[in-house]
Amino acid sequence: MRISSLFYNLKQGLLNIWHNKMFSLASLATMTACIFLFGVFYSISVNFDAMVHNAEEGVAVTVYFDEDVTTSQMQEIGDMIAIRPEVSKYKFISADEAWETFKKEYFGDEHSEAADSFSGDNPLQYMANYEIYLEDVSQQKSLVDWLKSLDGVREVHQSEAVANTLTDFNSLIRFISGGIIIILIGVAVFLISNTVTVGISVRREEIAIMKLIGARDGFVRAPFIVEGIVIGLVGSVIPLALLFFLYKKIITYVAERFNALEGMFAFIPVTEVFRILVPVSLVLGVGIGYLGSKITLRRHLRV
Amino acid sequence: MIRLDHVSKTYEAGVQALDDISLHIAPGEFVFIMGDSGSGKSTLIKLLQKELNPTRGKIMINGKDISKLKQKQVPDFRRKVGVVFQDFRLLQDRNVYENVAFAMRVIEAPRREIKKRVPYVLSLVGLAAKYRSFPRQLSGGEQQRVAIARALVNRPKIILADEPTGNLDGGNAREIMKLLEEINERGTTVVVVTHNTEIVRAMNKRVIIIDRGNVASDQGGE
Ligand SMILES: Nc1ncnc2c1ncn2[C@@H]1O[C@H](COP(=O)(O)OP(=O)(O)OP(=O)(O)O)[C@@H](O)[C@H]1O
Ligand SMILES: [Mg+2]
Repeated sequence: MRISSLFYNLKQGLLNIWHNKMFSLASLATMTACIFLFGVFYSISVNFDAMVHNAEEGVAVTVYFDEDVTTSQMQEIGDMIAIRPEVSKYKFISADEAWETFKKEYFGDEHSEAADSFSGDNPLQYMANYEIYLEDVSQQKSLVDWLKSLDGVREVHQSEAVANTLTDFNSLIRFISGGIIIILIGVAVFLISNTVTVGISVRREEIAIMKLIGARDGFVRAPFIVEGIVIGLVGSVIPLALLFFLYKKIITYVAERFNALEGMFAFIPVTEVFRILVPVSLVLGVGIGYLGSKITLRRHLRV
Repeated sequence: MIRLDHVSKTYEAGVQALDDISLHIAPGEFVFIMGDSGSGKSTLIKLLQKELNPTRGKIMINGKDISKLKQKQVPDFRRKVGVVFQDFRLLQDRNVYENVAFAMRVIEAPRREIKKRVPYVLSLVGLAAKYRSFPRQLSGGEQQRVAIARALVNRPKIILADEPTGNLDGGNAREIMKLLEEINERGTTVVVVTHNTEIVRAMNKRVIIIDRGNVASDQGGE
């Protein structure tokens, strides 16, 4: 399409919106609500993810070996652990290191008699182990099962972590918000479709003349596509702007109010959240607008 | 240029508007179509622009059977045919200039050409001074001239004019006809539906008379 045609259709599309304020506003409000909720849930979700991730850092699985396992066999097991994708890092703790840590924890820093009485033999000589940290706690159970199936592994300890609960909670939030957003998308498409339908019926005579003069289908449809896209675009820019200010306000508020929980609430900065949220919301908004007018044109503008 | 082969048109309501019409109009011809009200003249014009499709028969334009045109080819076909509608069909919310420019816009003519061509065509039909008026501010004759300007503006190969002088007095009617004749002399095929026997007689062109959906007579011309 020519640039001048593009401008012409852009203007006609904006006129459609203007001449049909009631419907346009209803569509716009629904779009705004839809994208706003999407943004809210997204913000909660990414912050939750960050919290879960923090919690995960502390979670470890500990692997102990059979008594007859040699150092090179331990090494082999270590290599196998290293290539598992869910493992973020792992650490070998030798029997001596295990004993040193134990001594510190139970007898204090200064060498006590009780500890010295063990001198010579390491009472924890079979306690060499791997400490494994996970990339993603939800994979913990399958990792543990796998570890248990290995030859030479005597025992696997796992810490029951808050992280698991957090992860479950987060999927619940995603599930619910996903449902609400899908419903809102449906309503937005429906309203935009109605708006465009009104626009088409107002311009019925004009459309008929255009076709008789020799306008192509794309040209006849363009103003209505513009109408849908503009509503979608504005309907995502408004909630994004709103979220931008609210996000800052809320994290400041929560941080001040609950500073006891500071370690837990490591908020993600707004710029980082928006780096994903802005493009996704714009695509979503424009997509919904486009879809809304596209299906209507297919139904009402059989050329 | 235009050939009708046993063309009939029956409307959904069961009204047979055209009954087995065959005729040929050569390129560059100027033809009047006359007939009583309700005889099927407008129906014929609508068939020629593919606003309607015939119930039976074949319509060839420029050697092509227009009922065989694909959906996508229809716009290009219609760009070659300018129509002056009997009821004008002007856009009420746009002024004279915009109504004429509209025809160029929808076929995506370059903006510069629109700016040059529209004032020229408006001056041809004698409406240069009223380019900012809206249709409701114009007399019937003036609206008719806007409709003619819109049909001319894209330089069609064929002009179909359905009573282009119906609302004009003698002098103005003759001027419009003279204009159509000039356009015809530059090579455009012109088909004019009219009731104005005085002008028809004066201009000495081919006249097809339609009576209740049939060609009653076809005379004159070179
Ligand atoms: N859309 C339609 N549906 C049903 N019947 C129609 C329709 N349009 C026209 N007719 C009928 O077809 C016949 C021919 O109509 P048409 O408009 O072609 O006449 P006309 O020769 O142009 O008349 P006029 O000189 O009054 O304009 C008439 O009987 C009319 O009632
Ligand atoms: Mg008629």
